[in-house]
Amino acid sequence: MSIAELEGADVQRDAPSGLWREAWSRLRRNPVAIIGFCLVVFFALVALLAPWIAPFGPNQDVGFSQCSTSGCPGPSIHHWLGIDLNGRDELSRIIFGARFSLLIGFVSALSGLSIGLVLGSIAGYAGGLIDTIVMRCMDVMLAIPGLLLAIGIVAMLGTGLWQIMVAVGVTNVPIFARLLRGSVLVQREQDFVLAARAVGVRRRAILFSHILPNAISPVIVQGTLAMATAIIDVAGLGFLGLGPQDPATPEWGTMLTQVNEYLQSAPWLAIAPGVAIVLSVLGFNLIGDGLREALDPKLRGRV
Amino acid sequence: MLRFIVRRLLLLVPILLGLSILVFGWIRALPGSPAQTLLGERATPQLILQVRHQYGLDKPLPIQYWDYLKTVSSGNLGTSITTYRPVTYELQHRFPATVELALGAMIFAIGVGIPLGFFAAKKYGSFFDQSSLVGSLIGISIPIFFLGLILKYIFAVRLHWLPSIGREDILATRAHPTNFYVLDAIIGLDPGGLWDAIRHLILPSIALGSIPLAIVTRITRASVLDVQHEDYVRTARAKGLPPNEVDRRHVLRNALLPISTIIGLQTGLLLSGAVLTEKVFAWPGVGSWLTSAIASRDYPVLQGGILFVAIVFVLVNLVVDISYAIINPRIRLS
Repeated sequence: MSIAELEGADVQRDAPSGLWREAWSRLRRNPVAIIGFCLVVFFALVALLAPWIAPFGPNQDVGFSQCSTSGCPGPSIHHWLGIDLNGRDELSRIIFGARFSLLIGFVSALSGLSIGLVLGSIAGYAGGLIDTIVMRCMDVMLAIPGLLLAIGIVAMLGTGLWQIMVAVGVTNVPIFARLLRGSVLVQREQDFVLAARAVGVRRRAILFSHILPNAISPVIVQGTLAMATAIIDVAGLGFLGLGPQDPATPEWGTMLTQVNEYLQSAPWLAIAPGVAIVLSVLGFNLIGDGLREALDPKLRGRV
Repeated sequence: MLRFIVRRLLLLVPILLGLSILVFGWIRALPGSPAQTLLGERATPQLILQVRHQYGLDKPLPIQYWDYLKTVSSGNLGTSITTYRPVTYELQHRFPATVELALGAMIFAIGVGIPLGFFAAKKYGSFFDQSSLVGSLIGISIPIFFLGLILKYIFAVRLHWLPSIGREDILATRAHPTNFYVLDAIIGLDPGGLWDAIRHLILPSIALGSIPLAIVTRITRASVLDVQHEDYVRTARAKGLPPNEVDRRHVLRNALLPISTIIGLQTGLLLSGAVLTEKVFAWPGVGSWLTSAIASRDYPVLQGGILFVAIVFVLVNLVVDISYAIINPRIRLS
């Protein structure tokens, strides 16, 4: 093992952790990011513990008999957010809905991120023809506005939970691919990559252990923001009637669709799922914003 | 400059070709054969064969694609299978509605966002600044359709200040030569019609404009903060130019550069964001048309509509790029 390789390992261990440690300490002092973090943790806990904290089941009939033609009973001591038009407890549905909305958002953002990550880093690192082909495909995907692309995909696959995940995931692919390619292109020309190549590190090792760790920070910021948009897009598709077709599924966007027609008689049924969407999305946006500031190299050293 | 424009135009060719392949492939990837899709579920095998031949669906794929390209480039985007009207005919009526809505949203976002961002930067760190930041973050986090529902409930259902759906009074019988209702009312010198059209535009524009508003505010603030500390601003101040003049002639003018790109990009996005707003406010634009096409499985409408919106989106981005290059010489030369 040459000296360069030995030291290379040391430098590699130091450099990223320095950046991350510094970013973390800056993040901890950012009250806005902390609020975002609390919101996300709150919703994650609600989703995880739904069966234990929800007062009723998501599809349990708790008072359909009390509903009349003029509407269902509003918020009360027993039903904090009232009863929906099928006689189900709205609060319980919101709590169980956290599972669907967060999970769909998470899976779609993550799948878009991983595929985009692979495509972007291959395109950026390989260059040449591969780069051209991959990026032109991404350009075509970006040419269709996100929501329309998602609508087209759902129309093709049919409505449902996993179809929405695929649709929203696909719209995220070109965003990440483009982001990562740009960042890889910058890193590829750095001196440490040249040095690694000079001492004979294999191409794959250079890409995965030298370029990617340094190119990843904008991706993490974008990932949090993508999670926020994914929740909104999923709710939007649900609102358009493309969500889970089973009306028993308590997805927040789908819950808003029905209310559109009953806005006059039961506005609280519209407000509750809407506020849940806004708060969870806000949480991710706040974290993303805080992360962007914390990871910004221009602001480094100003802890 | 000419070279830049030609290069950008040439880059458009592969994107448009890719789009056409995507849309062409999409309708063939739908569940069931295209002929089945066109005819619905109760079609006889005989009829399906006939339609397959009529539409050239029995030819090899590359030839079908070539035929499709020829039809599309001659301006034929297909025919709706529910209304039997050509897609282009519907677009003539619906696209102006969407453009009018998008413009309304953009005017709202720019008219409110630039002053808001500017004063937030001027009062950096103040309560006003902080609340504009928090407000813009909340603005990005609210789904358009939820904001639309809330606005509709407060201002239309509760207060009866503004109409809740449509582009004009349902009982109105006005002629619309251009299909831009505001423009029609101005041309026709009809103040009542103008007021009616604007009243219908307000709520949908605010709902659709919420995200661009948040973004324009943030970018304006950041950009003014950047420019404020430039040397030429200090020089202008040092030579005794009144503060308002400095703001107007040096700070704002230079800060507007990044803002203009954002505005251009957002306008393109608004055309697609309109899908949700149009559904909430029953706005008869391209978005609500596409939504109902999904419900009725009207695939030719979806195919033509999506292709059309994507082309418009690409062209808007092109115009933004070129105009940005005109404003900013550094882009053009690099």
